[in-house]
Amino acid sequence: MKKVIASLLSVAMVAAMAAGCAQTEPATSGDDAATPDASAADAGDDAEASDAGEGEGEGEGEGDETTAETMSFGTGSEVINLWSFTNEVPNMIGKYIELHPEFGETYTVKVTIIATTDGAYQPALDAALVNGGEDAPDIYTAEAAFILKYTQGDMSSYAATYKDLGIDVDAEIEAADIAPYTIDIGSRDGEVVALGYQATGGAMIYRSSIALDTWGTDDPAEIEKIVGAGSGNWDKFWDAAEDLSAKGYAIVSGDGDVWHSVENANDAWIKDGALNMDTGRFDLFDISYDLTENGWSNNTSDWTEGWYADMQGIGEKPVFCFFGPAWLINYVMAGNVGGDAAPADGDFTQGNTFGDWRVCTPPVGFFWGGTWLLANKDTEQKEGVAEFIEWVTLDCSETGLQYLWANGTFNGEGGTKDCVASGTVMAISDGTLDFLGGQDMFPAFIAGNANATGANMTQYDETINSFFRDAVRQYALPEGEFYGDKDAAIAQFAENVNDNLVF
Amino acid sequence: MNNKKLVSYSKYGYIFAIPFVLTFLIFTLYPIVYTFTIGFTDLHGAGQTELRFLPSVGKPLFQNFTDVITSGSFQKAFTNTVRIWIVNFIPQMAFALLFTAWFTDRRTKLKGQGIFKILFYLPNIITSATVAILFLALFGYPKGPMNDIIMALGISKKAVNFTASASTVRGIIAFIQFWMWYGYTMVNLIAGVIGINPEIFEAAELDGASKAQTFFLVTIPCIRSILVYVLVTSLIGGLNMFDIPEMFIGKNCNNAGLTTNMYIRNQAFLGSYLYARAAAASVIMFIIILILCLILLYFMRDRDEAKLAKIRRQERKAAAART
Amino acid sequence: MANENKLHKESVGFKIFEYVICVIFAILSLAPFYIMFVNATRGTYEIQQHAISLFSPHPFQNLAKNWAVFNGKDFHPETGFVNSFIISTSVTILALYFSSLTAYSIQAYEWKGKKILNGLIMGIMMIPGTVTMIGFYQMVYKIHMTNRLEMLIIPAIASPMMVYFMKQYLEGSLSLSIVESARIDGASEFRTFNQIVLPLMKPAIATQAIFTYVSSWNNLFMPLILLTDKSKYTLPIVVSLLKGDIYKTEYGSVYLGLSITVLPLIVVYIFLSKYIVEGVALGGTKG
Repeated sequence: MKKVIASLLSVAMVAAMAAGCAQTEPATSGDDAATPDASAADAGDDAEASDAGEGEGEGEGEGDETTAETMSFGTGSEVINLWSFTNEVPNMIGKYIELHPEFGETYTVKVTIIATTDGAYQPALDAALVNGGEDAPDIYTAEAAFILKYTQGDMSSYAATYKDLGIDVDAEIEAADIAPYTIDIGSRDGEVVALGYQATGGAMIYRSSIALDTWGTDDPAEIEKIVGAGSGNWDKFWDAAEDLSAKGYAIVSGDGDVWHSVENANDAWIKDGALNMDTGRFDLFDISYDLTENGWSNNTSDWTEGWYADMQGIGEKPVFCFFGPAWLINYVMAGNVGGDAAPADGDFTQGNTFGDWRVCTPPVGFFWGGTWLLANKDTEQKEGVAEFIEWVTLDCSETGLQYLWANGTFNGEGGTKDCVASGTVMAISDGTLDFLGGQDMFPAFIAGNANATGANMTQYDETINSFFRDAVRQYALPEGEFYGDKDAAIAQFAENVNDNLVF
Repeated sequence: MNNKKLVSYSKYGYIFAIPFVLTFLIFTLYPIVYTFTIGFTDLHGAGQTELRFLPSVGKPLFQNFTDVITSGSFQKAFTNTVRIWIVNFIPQMAFALLFTAWFTDRRTKLKGQGIFKILFYLPNIITSATVAILFLALFGYPKGPMNDIIMALGISKKAVNFTASASTVRGIIAFIQFWMWYGYTMVNLIAGVIGINPEIFEAAELDGASKAQTFFLVTIPCIRSILVYVLVTSLIGGLNMFDIPEMFIGKNCNNAGLTTNMYIRNQAFLGSYLYARAAAASVIMFIIILILCLILLYFMRDRDEAKLAKIRRQERKAAAART
Repeated sequence: MANENKLHKESVGFKIFEYVICVIFAILSLAPFYIMFVNATRGTYEIQQHAISLFSPHPFQNLAKNWAVFNGKDFHPETGFVNSFIISTSVTILALYFSSLTAYSIQAYEWKGKKILNGLIMGIMMIPGTVTMIGFYQMVYKIHMTNRLEMLIIPAIASPMMVYFMKQYLEGSLSLSIVESARIDGASEFRTFNQIVLPLMKPAIATQAIFTYVSSWNNLFMPLILLTDKSKYTLPIVVSLLKGDIYKTEYGSVYLGLSITVLPLIVVYIFLSKYIVEGVALGGTKG
């Protein structure tokens, strides 16, 4: 046994050394050395451990504004607990304190980040909200997939209204011209309890070279006419699919690309306390089947290799368009198109489509994703919480978070430009991207934000959608269990929903 | 086997078991009792968080249990679980026994067997999440290594959508389970063999027993108790299968990979937070596993010992009758 | 003579067969590690395009990039490593020692209630973990004991599955005559267990140590729910945060994180595996 322990210890030392060496910044290693000590000392001694982290964290936050290297921000005596599922909002606290040092002198913001990918964020957050106490979150964030649970569903009673926090929310929304769908989602009985900073309204992101080859034009205004932009239906879009098909192109990569539009434009899944079997969302069955049968898509599933390959233009057939918000361009497409500058010879068929893309209004409006901020109704730090939330969600000045976010200057010049919730901010910001051949993306996305609706969501959507999308695949794919048998697929879908959910 | 126990030392039995019992009472008992209790309530994880027994809200006491048993999803989950378990368990056991036989054979010392022993357990070290992601990539559609191979060999002209067909999905999950666990089973069995007194093997060799004879007539009976352990834990583990099917296919492919443990978690976390129903399903699974284990233990019991015990009991009875 | 010759040929053929099978399985075992390490030296978008690749075109450049992501992601492998090390080592030692002790108490002594304890242990093993898990984390939140490593360590003292294994092992390899002779020598019961029985259980302890260490090290869900303070994160939690961003997962860094996670395990395993490798020589006497 002695040997075992001895060798385990030696392993520990080697690994610790390796980790230490690999750290590139000398500034961080001081903090690193402190961290294990704090945690190793006594697992029970929370307060001391985080105090130790704080002091050093403060000094460092000033030196390097881009990262949240610390367990907490600020040095004040009042504690604000922030719970989130990424480091995006925590980094905003860091930025806010950098811009407003007095906030950091008053408050210490303790950060808890739990990734959603392993299904632990919600159970932990729920338990923390229900059991309250010192460690209960004061500010917490929720993603589009599960926000409804916290604004209108089972956990909504824990959220404070923005009014109660002392924010003049109606006037400020008006002034900031906040995307209406984000307000719908963030409201409980007509009172705002959550708002976001991004706007995730979607655009149609299409390839200019394919448009030119098929219709002789790549002008967004012309393409909008061809696909029936803003018409609220798909008739013209399918005509366009025929044109593209004649030239050997697929209009979309897979049925996942049109799903968000179909979802957003139709009635909610639940009506009168039961699964709504009449919603137009069932149209996806026919759409998906037609895409496969007519060869209008490459039959890929979103987030798989085939889908990424279509962004690069190296799939079975070149794909004309994708549907998505600005984040899809920034975080998914930009890196997957095969280059970070347009090909020198202007030939987009050789595995590099950078610069070939344009955006326009989609036939049917939609939004996809987004993060909302909520405050605990029992928070003892109303003022501080309100101050920060207001800066993130409603401040439309050039020192507000959203202006930095929209212009890609949050981490200094040249960062990623993103669409934000405030139309006012977008109007004074610059959305031109080389990825889009120099096109300004904001006009198309502002239209997308206006067309999207947040009134037809429920807290069960994430689950119902996954059953639904699968039932559609089972019907539309030749390998599927219900290939060509729509009634059976629908019956199975209904059974799955009713077996797993009670409304 | 020497089974004489020393009655006079019995107090040490209590003392040595105290830490286990105390820890169990403090940390495990509450959650178990909690589970068994909420199966009879309408408790939700969020929203309805009050502990109300079903009759008090005008519902039958066993509502949750009947809901689970009559649900198509649960029945499907149960069939899937059993199917996947059997398809992975038989080859897993077969290969584990085969490798145990090869690697513990004293006569044909396989060169490099140490390396093989070490390697075969390795798949168990990586987290299931990583394994599932790697296999998903391997069986990607329309592009992926497996499809490349199939098309290169001319087995199929079109790319195969592996994760769209129910039986393929179950087959792949069973294979992953087999691949992750045969090494674990082998290591357990080898540990059992190492515990056997070498003199027994020497005696068998002297008697001129062949390799196969030694393995089946000496090794296996000697590791019977470890074998029982492997069978029982594999049964329990198999019926609680979760990580791989959840991360490989989840609810997709018409629930082709849905297991009972996934069903339970779905009840608890999928939007309605039906903790009560999840608890009821857990209790049902507990009863099923208990029955299956008892059957298994009955078949695997040490027949000689059982006979001996029976004879002793009869003797005692007879003695009692005489006095 | 001819017969023996044939037998010899057969055994050579058989040996080749054995090697072929073993090599195939060995490759299957190593493949995912290879892919994981290669992916650690690949870029996120390369991985999205082809999740599996035999080599990376720019390994060092990408490795540096993946490391750089760590800095931006508030990635502290050393904190995670220390916490994981504390938890896994304590869990393994506590579980091994007390499971052996409990198993020994059942196997070696005759006492009232031991049948009940034995049945209880079998019973707990069979309860599906999911919902007891729900009960456990809710209990921990209710009593405000989150962010304490003890809550993940102490329950290991009661590990029914391992008690069962130890009991089965003792059933096959413990001879009470050894215990008796120790008693005659005047050793106390406690000393007998520590100095005679425990060494006898080495092969069993080694295998269970590996399994426990690995599963404790890889345990994600429970620590993820119970340890919300960054200074208490375990290594898997730290890695899970790398994929926390919903819109953009840095796959290269995730694989690099996973590789870092798995390395200590491999070292622990290789060290302990000597007991698996050494073969029949270790067994004690058997009555």
